[in-house]
Formats: sequence, C-alpha cells, structure tokens
Amino acid sequence: MTSFAFHPAASLAEATALLAQYGDGTQLLAGGTSLMLLNRLGLLAPDHVVGLRDVGELRGIAVDDAGALRLGALTKLRDIETAPEVRGVPVLAEAAHHVATVRIRNQATLGGSLGHADPAQDVPPALIALDARVDVAGPNSTRQLPVEDLFTGYLETSLHPGELVTGVAVPRSTRGTRGGYLKFLPRTADDYATVSVAAVVDVVDGRVTRIRVALGAVAPTPVRAHSVEAALVDGHVTSEQLRGAAEFVRQDIDPTSDARGSASYKNDVAVVCVRRLLGRLLETEQEGR
Amino acid sequence: MTTDTIAPPTFSLPEHRLEGPLKVTGAAAFTDDVPVPDPLWAGFVASPHAHARITAIDTTAARALPGVHAVLTGSDVGGARFGRNVLDWPVLATDVVRFIGERVVAVAAESRDLVDEALALVDVEYEELPAVHDPSAAVAPDAPVLHPGAADYRVLRGTRPAVAHPNIQGHLVRAKGDQDIEEALRSADLVVESTFSTPRQHPGFLEPHAALVWLEADGTVRVVSTSKEPFALARQMAAALDLPVERIVVDNAFVGGDFGGKGLAALEFPLYFLARATGRPVRAALPYSDELAATSTRHAATMRLRTGVNRDGTFVAHAAEVVFDGGAYAAAKPSPQLVLGGGIATMSAYAVPHTRVELTTVYTNTVPGGHMRSPGEVQSVFAGEAHVDVIASRLGIDPVDLRRRNAARAGQPNAVGETFTHPAAVEVLDAVRTAVQWERPRTHGRGVGVALYQRGAGTGRGGVILRAVPDGSFQLVTGSVDQGGGTHTALRRIAATALGVAEDRVVVVRRSTRESLFDNGVGASRVTRILGEATIRAAADIRERLAVEGMGDTAIEARGEYEAAGHAEDSSFIAEAVEVEVDTETGAITVVDAVIAADTGEVINPTAHRGQLEGGFAFGLGAALMEELAVDDGQVVTGTLGDYKLPTVADMPPLRIIQVRAGGTSGPFGAKAVGELANSGVPPAIANAVAAATGVRLSSLPLTAEAVHGALR
Repeated sequence: MTSFAFHPAASLAEATALLAQYGDGTQLLAGGTSLMLLNRLGLLAPDHVVGLRDVGELRGIAVDDAGALRLGALTKLRDIETAPEVRGVPVLAEAAHHVATVRIRNQATLGGSLGHADPAQDVPPALIALDARVDVAGPNSTRQLPVEDLFTGYLETSLHPGELVTGVAVPRSTRGTRGGYLKFLPRTADDYATVSVAAVVDVVDGRVTRIRVALGAVAPTPVRAHSVEAALVDGHVTSEQLRGAAEFVRQDIDPTSDARGSASYKNDVAVVCVRRLLGRLLETEQEGR
Repeated sequence: MTTDTIAPPTFSLPEHRLEGPLKVTGAAAFTDDVPVPDPLWAGFVASPHAHARITAIDTTAARALPGVHAVLTGSDVGGARFGRNVLDWPVLATDVVRFIGERVVAVAAESRDLVDEALALVDVEYEELPAVHDPSAAVAPDAPVLHPGAADYRVLRGTRPAVAHPNIQGHLVRAKGDQDIEEALRSADLVVESTFSTPRQHPGFLEPHAALVWLEADGTVRVVSTSKEPFALARQMAAALDLPVERIVVDNAFVGGDFGGKGLAALEFPLYFLARATGRPVRAALPYSDELAATSTRHAATMRLRTGVNRDGTFVAHAAEVVFDGGAYAAAKPSPQLVLGGGIATMSAYAVPHTRVELTTVYTNTVPGGHMRSPGEVQSVFAGEAHVDVIASRLGIDPVDLRRRNAARAGQPNAVGETFTHPAAVEVLDAVRTAVQWERPRTHGRGVGVALYQRGAGTGRGGVILRAVPDGSFQLVTGSVDQGGGTHTALRRIAATALGVAEDRVVVVRRSTRESLFDNGVGASRVTRILGEATIRAAADIRERLAVEGMGDTAIEARGEYEAAGHAEDSSFIAEAVEVEVDTETGAITVVDAVIAADTGEVINPTAHRGQLEGGFAFGLGAALMEELAVDDGQVVTGTLGDYKLPTVADMPPLRIIQVRAGGTSGPFGAKAVGELANSGVPPAIANAVAAATGVRLSSLPLTAEAVHGALR
C-alpha cells in the first residue's frame, strides 16, 4: 500500500474544490472497497484522496414529486438492498443483494460502484435496465446523463476531470412493470459474475410494450442487449421466440477469457441467462432454474 | 489448594477455546503485531524471469536513499541456501534465478514506503535462459539442467535419492506383493487405465507469512515467525546460517491459519542477514500477491493409474505413476525422498495383493511446490477414487458394491504392507450408502458419488513440561504453536483428564524453543497423538509424585516425551458421499447433499473435531470446484484472492457427519487423526456424482462448469 494525502470534504462544494485544487489523478474515497484494493495491489497510487464521508449532499434515499427514486451517491449497497423506498422499483434491490457479502455491502456505495466502472459490478446493469440517470457535479455546474452513457471503457467513465457522481434518479415504474436480475456464479456465491443480466419489461395484455436488457461482465462496460430487445418488443412472446431472441445476445456482448471462463463459454452462458431471466419475467414457460 | 468439587472434563461436552476470547476481541497478537523497539522493515526485489542469469546488480541509488539501512545481494549472504530437508533454495539468488518471484535483493529501511522506494531504485540485469514450465518438458533428454550443482546441496536428514534425470527432485517407489507388477497386471481379466491431473493450490490462510528477527548482544538470534514448526525452523536456520542451533530462539506468536503452508519458512533467512547487517530488529509480512505467486503451493500432479481387475470386480494388481511439479526448489518438502508421501494413497482403503506406486517430483521454472493439507493425498485420492468409479463403470458393477468387495478387512495389509487391525472401511461405506439413499432413482442431472479412503496417524516426536503449582493449579508448557486447530485447548483437556482435575485448573503456557521441549511441529495430523501422549505421561508422573510427596511449597515438575512411527492400526477410515445437481445447459455443479462417515476414534474436543470434518469438507469443496493457481509461462496469473476463489459458508451443502467406531489405536484415550482427513475425498466424490448425473467423466481439477459444459456439447 502506498501513502497519500487525505483531504476529508465537508460539503459538495468543498469536494469539487479539492478535486480542482489537487488535479489529475486525485481519487475519491467513499466506501473504499475498490480504491483501497487497487491501492494495495499497486494499480492505483494517488498522491491525494478526497474523502466524501461527511458530504451530506451525497446522502439520502427519497421519492421525488415526479415519483422518481433519488439515491445519493453515498447510499450503501446494503441500504439499496433493504430500504423500503427502493422496493417501489423492480430489480434494483435484487441486484444489490447479489453484491459480494453483507460486510462488503455495508461498506460499498452506489456512487463508488458507478465511478469505479468495473463491468462486473451488479448494480449498474440494473440501473441501465431501469433507464436510470446519473447526477454529476463539477466545480461550477451539474449535469445529468443516462447511466448507460457513464461508462466508456474498462474502469473508464465519461466524467470530466473534477466531476463526481452525486446521485442517481430512477424513473417511476408503472403498474405491470417487471424486473429481475440473474447472476451466474458457477464457482462460489462470493464472486464477481461470470455473466449477469438485468431486465425490465412492461407487459400490457400479454404484449411486451417496453423491454430493456443489460448485461454485466461480458464487455469492457455493462452493455445493453439491443438486439434481444428489438427482437421481443411489441410482440406476444412465445417460448420459441424467446429462445431465438436470446441467441441475439451474442451480437451485443464482447466477453474476454479470464479465470471465470473463456469468451466462448461466456457467450453460451449469456444466451442461457437471458433466456431464463426473460422467461421468468414473461412467464413464457416454467424455467427450471 | 481447592478441593476437587468439579469433575475432570467429559469429552462429550463442547470445549471452550483457550484463545477464543483473545481472537474474537482482536487482542491476540500475531507475528506482525508483536511489538519490538525500533524495527526496520524489509522488502525484496524479485525476479521477473522464470530462468535467467543475473549479469549485474546496481544497488548504489538504493543504498544512498536516506533511511535505507541495508541493501543485500546474494554475495552478501555468502550464497546461503535453506530448506526443510534439502538446502537448495538460495536466501538471495546469486548467479541464476529459477522462478518468477525469486528473491534477488533484500532491503531494510525505516518504513514500508521507504522500502518500496528503495526497491524501485535497484537495477538488476538479466540474461534470459531457456525455461522449463512443466515436468514433461523438464525431463526431456535435452532439457536445460536447472540445478547443475544439486549433488552438492546439503541435506538435513537421510540422503537424496538417486535420480534418472538431473531435473528430477525426488523419487520413491512403494511396492508390495511377490510378483512383478506388470506380470500381476497381466494375470487379471482386465486392466483399466486412467490418467488424472490436479492443479497448484494455495492454502488460503488469512495471515500471510510474516517474521521478525533480531540479534542480541550475546549473539542469540531471536525469531518471531508464522512458522508452525518453531523447532524445525531453528534447525533449518542453524543449518542455512552455519550457527549452533542453541543460538537460535524461535518464540512464535499466534499463527493465523496454516493448512500446511506455514511449514515452509522463507522470510526468516534474509531477515537474519538484514538484522545482522543493521544491528536492528527487522520485520516483514508478505503482500498476499506474493503469497500466491512466490511462496510454496500445493504440487500440481499428473497421475497414471492402472488396475488389474477380475470380471467379478476383485482388484488383483494396482500400479500408479504420480508425477509432481516440484517447481524451482525442493526446499519446501521435509521428506528425505523429496516427494509427497501422500501420493501413495491411490488405493488406500483396499486390499490389493500387488501394488506399485512410483512417486516422482520434478524441478521446473515455476513457484516451488510445498505442503498443503493432506499433501499428496488430495492428488492421489482424487485419482484413485475417480479411477475406482471408472473401473465400476467398465465392469458394470455398482460403485459402492465394487468398493465393498475390495475394502480392506482386518488382518489385510495396507499399501505399504502394514497390517490393518481395525479397519472401518466397510462400516463407513455402508453408513454413507444408507444416509445418502444411494439406491434411490434420480432424474437426469442429479447423481450421487462416493469416495472411500484412509489416512494414517501422524508420526514424530514431541514433549511437554507439566508443573504442579502450590496454589493447586497446573501448568502445561509447550513449544508447539496453535495455528487455529485448537491444539492448546486439546492439550489442556487431556492434561486435566489425565490429572483427574477440572479443566480450569490447567493453564497452557506456550514458550520459546529455548524454554520448552522439542516438538516436531503442528502438522501431519500429529499434535493430539504425540503431545497428547506426552502430556498423559507427564501427568502420570506428576500424580505419582503428588501421591508420594504431597504438594509442598515448591512446584513439582515432570517432563513427558513421546515418539510415534506410523501404525496401520491407527488409521482413520472415511467415506464421503455427495449428491449433485448439474445444470446441463451451463455445466454448473451444485452439491445438494453431503454425508461424511468417519472412524476418528475417541473425540476429545467435539467442537474442533466437527470443525475439522466440516472445514475439511469445505476445503475439499474448494479443491473440487474452484481453486487453481493458474501459471502461464512460469507466471502465476491468479494474482489475488479476488481471482483465486475460496469457498464460503454460502457454498456449503447440508452436511451430515456420522461417527463410526472400529477401535484399535495407540492415540490418547483412543483418539485418531482428523485434521487432514475430510478434504481429500470431496473432489472424487463430486467428480463421481457428476459422472453419475450426466455421464461426463472429468479427470482434471477443478471440476469447472465450463468443463462440464464443454463435455456435454
């Protein structure tokens, strides 16, 4: 582990000012579950770290006037898993539940899981499937962008220098919206996904009116399964159609071979996972597991 | 002196761990916590090459850095080498490096940050040499010879076996029967041949290797270390450093997990030279990435098994050739033959008239192989018990029936010719067969598998000092560390029972190697047997003297010592059965039910005993389904515990434990070994269950979902 100068910020204004003051390479510390690991491994050796723990603006879980769920960037993943407000939207609590262990979830934060931009994180695919937007603050301005547009590469985001994630807005869900998360873990329950899939679907009179599918751990960033969505939207989905549509996920992903499996295996498993999750949500058939 | 209103302990009552409160509250001091005035920190420049000649080392800039007190190279340590039996591992590489991660330069500085800064300033130039990455390449006729000077390496015990190729580290053949093995094989109706392989593994203990070394004014070398064998370490240091063993005092703190990996001590040697050069205490703790890549690992193995069987299922002859990848140095192996003796356990629980098992360890340019819980057995039991199922399938005989037919009975010899007096093979097999509902029909994707084997009792020598104190208490002094297995708690219970007093009257005191009696160390499932018996002897002595002399104003002291060789009568037999569900689309394996039936004799610490069996199962589950230190061109690429996955409690199936008693043991109060028993059978039981569920026979560990998926395509 390397030493660094630690600058605890007391407000969002102070946090952005510290980021501006210490410049490039300055890192943010929220829960520390990623930063400290990368530091111990020698992959990240910042000279300056800005502490966010006391930044009140980054806290809170609330439903706003428009019915959107607002989550502060410091929200612990354990709180996403358990807070009653989060139960009003599908998939999100379920995805948070699958992150590592309770001990980690009590420490890791929503903002951290977005800013870290590891494609194997569990919560980002759920947020993408929910069409969530991320709030970003810079030294002089704030902006909002789709969560999907935050990720530009492996551990890379579209955040400008000096910007930080302040929170997430999840649009209100309508009656009939269903969502789910499937994390494929063939080795141990405490692992990053080999493949993960999150999906949100609206079904009206048996017809899929809206579908968003996102996968984790199968590309440098979490990815939308546009091909699968296109094949299923606006239809009454049979198990045969779903079987065919799930195959299209191969076009949407670009997995690499690693300790969790070869690229070819991950492609095969992604098809199975997409089919099973959507089968569960669309009730096309009794899926075994 | 209080009167004995409280009875001596009853073994059936769960024990209270002596060190439990200390560990739960965080008060227990481990090596890295032991305070010492004014320490320096140490770190190492490691080789980036699997095999290379060192052409130049420039330490000028590192030495010039303020706060750096010593920068040592191989020439500064006089080419010293260390090892548990053969001293072949250089303290610091001199002319040649033989694996990625080998230590080349040692630095001592005022802080960890300064150490890192100094290491970055050292410049080492290498000329790469051709490297051999696996045993078959290493024993090719034209392979580069990794240790041209091997004949000159010192050994601590025995003599190095003669070898057929200079890259062979160690060799051992155990044979039994009055016939040539090939002839015996030919005499059978059928010879079934199978080949299996197992990967390198890391023990995954929580506490990485750490050490603290300083020299006292009189020349005494003081060592605090994570070694589980303080006395052996003192001897190894004496040999490597050319010092009288009396000058080395090892005084270990708590050891945070071992699983075999703390038998090798490697940090202590360079720390000695740094402490000598600086006149200051020097300490180091390995980053876990170094643990995984550059300490010692479970040996990867390939195993060719041939068994001659008659149509009725009778095993006539069995031959096994087991090749272990020994890595760059044999230093981590304590056996004089430099092999893993557990490798002979390919058919440990059966009566086979003719057997021949050949064990070979080979030098390669990879991280050295060492000991890890049931060394050699994890490899050989996987191969042997999967092989038995292959035979069963070939003959069309039920796997349990085939095992039952060949299971060792009383009076029959084990693989090395010792006679089993009380083998529980049939009893444990029948117990798991019933418990797992072996005969129940299962749907496709569900299957049951079983494994049957035995493990001998730990051997070795050890002693304790027992004192009766005038206040009515008793002190048991041991130099043995408790690496988490509950050693000290067991010894207290044994002492109290043997003395006939309540447990809380006995205090266990761990002392340095200078203030306690020799002990071989915590390993080979030896402690309860050896130190337990030594304690009983000391207690008998104390009781006799108390009866004669009575308790006066001064303490009465007795020494108990015990040495045991292997005895087949002391073997622990075990059967394990699992039911798996295989996801036939993804290949994912889920163990849905598990049963262990074992004859471990009298149980002294019921909670620790259960922990050894349940923990052993979890340990085996890791080997079966997930653990592999992957090596690519000599580089360990499974670089963190994020990639090297260990099983968690969430991965455990429902597990039932059935105790079987066949009697017959020389262990204290009838106890048998349990520490390294349960893990070895889990991989073959699961592999056999997967075969039953899907028809897919996997012959390599770990049994990955991808491998099942690939075979089902």
